[in-house]
Amino acid sequence: MQVLSNNRRFLIGFAVVAFLAVIPFVNDSRSMLILLTQVFIFAIFAMSFDILLGYTGIVSFGHCLFFGIGAYSVALLLNRQGGELPSFAAGMAIALVLAVIISYIIGMLSLRLKSHFYAMLTLAFSQLFLVLAEKWRSLTHGGDGFTFMVPDLFRDRLSFYYITFTCLIALFILLKLFTESSAGKVLKAISQNEQRAEALGYKTLHYKVIASIVAGTTAAVSGGLYVVTLRFVNTTVFSIDVTLDALLMTMIGGVGTLVGAIAGAGIIEYLQHYLSELASTYPIFERWTILLGLLYIFVIMGFPSGLAGLFKKVSARGEREKSKDKNRRGSEKTA
Amino acid sequence: MDILVNLFVNGISTGMLIFLLASGLTLIFGLMSVLNFAHGGLFAWGAFSGVWIFAETGSFLVSMLGAVVIGMALGLILERFLIRPVYGNHVRQLLITLGGMLVLSEMLKVIWGPNPIRANLPEWLSGSYQLGGIILIKYRLFVILIGILVYILLILLLNKTKLGLMIRAGVMDKEMVQALGINVKSLFSFVFLLGAGVAALGGVLLAPYSGVVFAEMGMQYAILAFVVVIIGGMGSLKGSAVASLIVGLAGAFMAYYLPDFSLALNMLLLAFVLLVKPSGLFGEEGEV
Repeated sequence: MQVLSNNRRFLIGFAVVAFLAVIPFVNDSRSMLILLTQVFIFAIFAMSFDILLGYTGIVSFGHCLFFGIGAYSVALLLNRQGGELPSFAAGMAIALVLAVIISYIIGMLSLRLKSHFYAMLTLAFSQLFLVLAEKWRSLTHGGDGFTFMVPDLFRDRLSFYYITFTCLIALFILLKLFTESSAGKVLKAISQNEQRAEALGYKTLHYKVIASIVAGTTAAVSGGLYVVTLRFVNTTVFSIDVTLDALLMTMIGGVGTLVGAIAGAGIIEYLQHYLSELASTYPIFERWTILLGLLYIFVIMGFPSGLAGLFKKVSARGEREKSKDKNRRGSEKTA
Repeated sequence: MDILVNLFVNGISTGMLIFLLASGLTLIFGLMSVLNFAHGGLFAWGAFSGVWIFAETGSFLVSMLGAVVIGMALGLILERFLIRPVYGNHVRQLLITLGGMLVLSEMLKVIWGPNPIRANLPEWLSGSYQLGGIILIKYRLFVILIGILVYILLILLLNKTKLGLMIRAGVMDKEMVQALGINVKSLFSFVFLLGAGVAALGGVLLAPYSGVVFAEMGMQYAILAFVVVIIGGMGSLKGSAVASLIVGLAGAFMAYYLPDFSLALNMLLLAFVLLVKPSGLFGEEGEV
């Protein structure tokens, strides 16, 4: 359903991009830059999760796995090989290769199973990696973690802001192309009715594995960028909270729309920032996660398609009749 | 020799605790194909409220009873307000029960604070029996005893009562049972409450066993219970019991001989079962 015409959509997108590009010149507060950088990184992560949840209809509870792999690959390379650009590039390359291999293995093993088995298995795999990271102390230093140097280019908050921003836009375009490719269309079909897609002759397992590889590599990129902002890594990158963040962002922003995932990342990151700031004055807000949890449940019950879905519904009210009519005629023809 | 016996007792008692958690999970899944990610939260609530009641009253039996009641009350709320609205929609069920888990474990931190709490053994269960060179810790034997008792009660309930007959029939074919005029939804509510109570019992028994309770324990044990439920076969009580003992024993022996690999072992077991027989040891064929 095309709600806004392509032209208007493009204009809005362009305005947002332009706005974000000039923000550092208008408002040069450091915390604002850091917050927005964080938003961009988590927007990449949320988009990758949305490829699975929104576009393919599979629920992974172990998405932090790929985030953590990206984080540790980049952190280890920067730590061992010195904080230069080549070691960052090498870390990213290793992260991508590892993400492809691991998502392929997990996908082939468990995507044959029904959704709840897959959810459970991915949760178990991510916990396995968490334990591995905690036990393999000679490599990861366990829960204490380690710090490392980052390239000078990344140390400057302003240039890193633009780097993550460019990454977000590039990945958004790539993922958009992926979802609109023929493979992406098959994924959409699988999410609506897997048996039917199978009956039409598509090997659904292969397409689902492709989706999980795309999602895994994208998540690894976000993990790699994330540790660069912190210049520190420990086992929390593998914790279930990271997966929950992705879930919250995609659910609240709206599943099945990449823009929704980005908006969700913005909302959640801002809320977390705001609520934890509030907690320093009002101790009641110390356990703000509970508010996010309640919001999340509320969204699933009330607005299963998230804010993007709500927005679509409101703005589509006028156009709905027309498209319904068109759909009906179309389905009659195919039937 | 005494090491072997000790490891065996440890393994069986851990297995019993996992069984208490897994039994509810497997029945709930078998009856309504609801996979309840919040089940571990009920377990953790059982542990925390058990420790709290024990500290207040000084009676372990009262704390067991109280924890079970609290677990069931939470189970009732969960079932009524979270799971019932999303029946039949697997993706939303998965998402919403995980949300339930998050809220349950955060609530624990709101009420009892974010730090781990020490759990004490009751006087009459501390100490151990000595048989030759073999030391048997009383509390572990107690856990095994309770586990066996719960298993027997559940089997009796399922096999000897009319209610159990309805539950078993519902696990096999719920449309047919519904067509025969039995309200599957209220049957399910009952099973959910039962599972919640047993999970809370598992939690309260675990607390003195591990000596400390913390909010994340629910997730940790839930993962073990999921492994057990898959290995044993979804919906099979007997399968869960056998798989719990396997996982418990394997964990105990591995923790002694190859401590770093004890979790990996469960994952290997799980991957093996899924590859060879995805429906689990005692599961119905064609379920997956």
